[in-house]
Amino acid sequence: MVVLKKLSYLTSEAAQLVKITDDVRREVEASGVSEGLVAVMSAHTTCGVIVNEGLPCVERDLQEMLERMVPLDAPYAHAHFLPSYGATGNNSQGHLKQTLVGNSCMFPVTGGRALLGGAQDVYLAEFDGPQRRTVYVEVMGE
Amino acid sequence: MAIDVNVHPLLYKSIYSEDDFAFWEREFGMGHMGPMDYDEVFAELDYGGIEKSVLLPLDLTTTAGGWIATNEQVAGIVSDYPDRFVGFASVDPNRPDAPEVLECAFVELGARGLSLHPAKQRFWMTDACMEPLFELCQKYDRPMMVDAGLSWEPNAPTKYGHPLAIEEAIMTHPNVRVCLSHFAWPWVREMVMLMLKYPNCYTECSALYLDSPEESINRLFTQDMGSRWFQRSLLHQVMFGSNTPRFRAFKLIRAIDALGLPDYARETLLTANALEYLGGE
Repeated sequence: MVVLKKLSYLTSEAAQLVKITDDVRREVEASGVSEGLVAVMSAHTTCGVIVNEGLPCVERDLQEMLERMVPLDAPYAHAHFLPSYGATGNNSQGHLKQTLVGNSCMFPVTGGRALLGGAQDVYLAEFDGPQRRTVYVEVMGE
Repeated sequence: MAIDVNVHPLLYKSIYSEDDFAFWEREFGMGHMGPMDYDEVFAELDYGGIEKSVLLPLDLTTTAGGWIATNEQVAGIVSDYPDRFVGFASVDPNRPDAPEVLECAFVELGARGLSLHPAKQRFWMTDACMEPLFELCQKYDRPMMVDAGLSWEPNAPTKYGHPLAIEEAIMTHPNVRVCLSHFAWPWVREMVMLMLKYPNCYTECSALYLDSPEESINRLFTQDMGSRWFQRSLLHQVMFGSNTPRFRAFKLIRAIDALGLPDYARETLLTANALEYLGGE
């Protein structure tokens, strides 16, 4: 059995970590899958998915590390008018941060529940907000 | 807080449709972007500290057979969200009923100004057909927003939006406030010259084509213009505009903040000049 759900989030900051652990757990429990896997996937290129410990200090360290690695004012190539969009591309920082953190994660499903480690939380990682973002949760198993 | 005087509401969900988008894609020159609910619009405006946005429709009746957002659609958005939006009207100056369309928009739809695009609508600001439109703007004390300089719309010769092609219209209508958009880029010095000569002439700073927002705004305010020109001589004539959806407004404000303007100059640029141009709240 495969169950696909589409979750929607409206972010409010340019860079923001949105904890979505409870939503993922809820979708797994509602899926009817008892044993299998759950995949959590961002539908975007400037917005990723992170698994880490849900502490404000860890969140701050993650954000600051990414900012040091991918600073806003670096001379990115993707900073010019894009005729195919009719808009200016100026979000390379978001693209590169998303590439570093990845856009998905997976967990085992057992007993009808997502099996997360005790310190693990799932985050939608916004790098070019505010925007409405889509996350797919796909539960696969029997 | 800021007022954004140059917003095209094409992606706002209440007016977005697949059929219209195909026309807008062809005539406005855009793609790959989808509709936005108003909570998403407001999230972005709030993040950027933008209190109000001026919505610009565009009447292309005689040149393309349609509108890029209609006067009625803009009036509808303003009616739904009067605290967040100010609506302008547009009229194709070449249509025979242009004065009637404009007066109807001012009187019945409550439009607060006139949006024109000489390159896309294929007219000169000094054409005879413009005279009744100037008279109506003066009669109702409504400003004009005139697309100037580089325009990304296809089939829009830039010569119609050259500041020198617009000068005489501004000169002969000193009681009508006229904003030439985008700093008339690349003719920034010509734009500056017009503002020095004509106090009824304004511009806005959505000129972002070749670099990042920070690089573009820094170049505009420190190289294309002398670094003190704005504060010394143009303090009351430059407004904030984003040209949404072509540029994201909060990134332009971030770039303006990086200039390190004194508070009075920042406030004037982001808010006070727009209030003066619009004729008040």
